[in-house]
Amino acid sequence: MLSNDYKAKNPANLINNPAGAAVDRLAALGLQDKELFLPAGLLGFPAYQHYKLEPFEPGDGSESPFLLLNAVGHELTFPLIHPASMGLDYRFPSSAELLAALGARVPEDLLPLLIVTLRETLEEITVNLQGPLIVNPIAALGAQLVLEDQPLRHPLLKPGAAEDLMRSC
Amino acid sequence: MLILSRRPGESVTIGDDITVTIVAISGSQVRLGIAAPREVRVLREEIHKAIQEENRAAANVPEAGRKLEDALKRLQSKKPGEPDK
Repeated sequence: MLSNDYKAKNPANLINNPAGAAVDRLAALGLQDKELFLPAGLLGFPAYQHYKLEPFEPGDGSESPFLLLNAVGHELTFPLIHPASMGLDYRFPSSAELLAALGARVPEDLLPLLIVTLRETLEEITVNLQGPLIVNPIAALGAQLVLEDQPLRHPLLKPGAAEDLMRSC
Repeated sequence: MLILSRRPGESVTIGDDITVTIVAISGSQVRLGIAAPREVRVLREEIHKAIQEENRAAANVPEAGRKLEDALKRLQSKKPGEPDK
């Protein structure tokens, strides 16, 4: 019986350390060094189907929850983040068609990654909840779903984060 | 763009596998029925366009590395257990 509604996957290491190292996450998901195939590409980029998922590693060696979706053989890159890293309770519908398209047996085989839109100021950086990249890490397949009821631009930083930072100085 | 006139109950076919039917007309609103293979994504045009544009805005952002590092510093500056305001 397929569930209509699947809660974002939360392996124990993500729950305990939601902002933990993307390197560890990729390894835990079995996606390190694997090439990801998007049969339909991303909306607006249908010709780009082959990608590598790589952790974004900051220069100071600190831990990062961000991933980079890098097209193979092309200068095309998208930053991604798992909703758990933002403390988001994110759900997406797992239809029979989606499972079949991504070679998944059950909804738990799939995980969502959100595309991050970087902008000039930190407060304006958003993640796309309306068009998540759904990935089957075992089959290394992915597709961008469209969830019309979800927001296209969800702030990365919680409102008031800037004020909190100033107060803590 | 091909322009056709149809009455409620009438349809147009697109290729061999897609059929668009006028289900009803109510005032200025048209109710459409779309029969298409499962692998064909059918979306309200403005939603499709908005996601395309958001994807394009997210692709190859200049100085992405620096912006991600700045965001990380801000995320890490929050103490654990700090309540949301």
